[in-house]
Amino acid sequence: MRHHLPILCVIPPYMLQEIARNGSQAQRDMAVRTLIASEQFRGQRRALRDLKGLVSAAAFTAAGGGKQRTVYSAQQGSQLPGVKIRDEGEPASSDVGVNEAYDGSGVTYDLYYDVYGRNSIDNNGMKLDSTVHYQKGYDNAFWNGQQMVYGDGDEDLPTGQRLFNRFTICLDVIGHELTHGVTEHEANLAYLTQSGALNESLSDVFGSLVKQYQQGQTAAQANWIVGEGLFTSNVNGVGIRSMKAPGTAYDDPVLGKDPQPAHMKDYVTTIEDNGGVHINSGIPNHAFYGTALEIGGLAWEKAGWIWYKTLTNKLQSTSNFQDAADKTFETAGELYGTGSLEQKAVQKGWLEVGIVVGGTSGGEGCLNAFLRAFGLQVRSQ
Amino acid sequence: MRIRFEQTGGIMGRKISLDLDTSELPADEAETLRQVLDDTNFFALPENLVAHPVPDELQYLITVETDDVVHSVRASDTTATSALRALIQILSQQARSRRTK
Repeated sequence: MRHHLPILCVIPPYMLQEIARNGSQAQRDMAVRTLIASEQFRGQRRALRDLKGLVSAAAFTAAGGGKQRTVYSAQQGSQLPGVKIRDEGEPASSDVGVNEAYDGSGVTYDLYYDVYGRNSIDNNGMKLDSTVHYQKGYDNAFWNGQQMVYGDGDEDLPTGQRLFNRFTICLDVIGHELTHGVTEHEANLAYLTQSGALNESLSDVFGSLVKQYQQGQTAAQANWIVGEGLFTSNVNGVGIRSMKAPGTAYDDPVLGKDPQPAHMKDYVTTIEDNGGVHINSGIPNHAFYGTALEIGGLAWEKAGWIWYKTLTNKLQSTSNFQDAADKTFETAGELYGTGSLEQKAVQKGWLEVGIVVGGTSGGEGCLNAFLRAFGLQVRSQ
Repeated sequence: MRIRFEQTGGIMGRKISLDLDTSELPADEAETLRQVLDDTNFFALPENLVAHPVPDELQYLITVETDDVVHSVRASDTTATSALRALIQILSQQARSRRTK
């Protein structure tokens, strides 16, 4: 729990910002600490970018205003977090995976902080812990509720048989995992069927936005491939998913064909992978892509804002695709005006995947049917 | 002894599987596998070790069949015991190398 300063209650934020700009060093540090601590400042943290240069780095970080990354190595074992290799502010390691995890979580932090005013995973300065070299032959990455975990791919197989490189190689995979943490702290979408596929889609959306943000790409310039560079040259594929054209990322004799649908008519009902959370995420992924392309420009700005605001303010654990369509439409209206081009773009994005804003896609029925079939209940918080 | 191994989930959400009959393996491989399996106390493990899904982690379903008994255990990266992880690592490597041409 962050310490709240008494001064918080009496000095309005605009005055604190003046002190932060014009006061003595000690006054500036105090003002920034107070601004960051203030819940009144939530959602307005973009202004902190302007304050960063005015106060000492130590004061900024101590107030929860900075990145706090630590990268560990599991040394090919399973113990988490493992051996500490690199802490915030320390020079680069000789281990490229360590540096990728460090830099990638840094860029992800920056997108969330600089663009959406979010201070880390919990919006309260949570440490960004990553573990690399998890197990042997571990061709995966995951978020365990406390940290990011990355395998080295299938380095245990002969070179000619390897399909995957190390998982830190892709910035969007790092953004994807970190976003699972953000979602857990916000809508906490149940990891099952449509709410689970939405959870997955949000990770792909913000993972892709992290990469586009770093590369300065517009929606039209980006290739919208998730996990580009993850496959070795043995695989016939460009990445693990395509938000632009779901179902086309790979078609390989060993891996098979990318199974993602791009439209509700191709929605896959399955009990595997928690009800196909990594398959049906193609549908909301493509809706975001369509929206971002229609709005044009930098996708993390307007389309990203609409999705971020919806994730943090409107979705809940059982939300389905229809809810996401309705709520992103509502958010676009609130941010840019009813009937605005942005709101129409959201409507069009969802329509392209077969979801009519304000309609009934029957999504909740799918979830209920699945739960009934397996005697499960979705936990709400 | 027959072993069926299924791996699902992960960031790609793909499935790989493997069917093994220890009588068809080289003697030393069969013995190693039997030893690793013994270490897990497999037949005493509960059928489901996964309490709730964790985003992107791999899930495993292992079924072992002897002449006397059939038992299945569902586990995941964060819930598998260390002995079970050793078994999963062997089976996963076999599954990944066998599906590769």
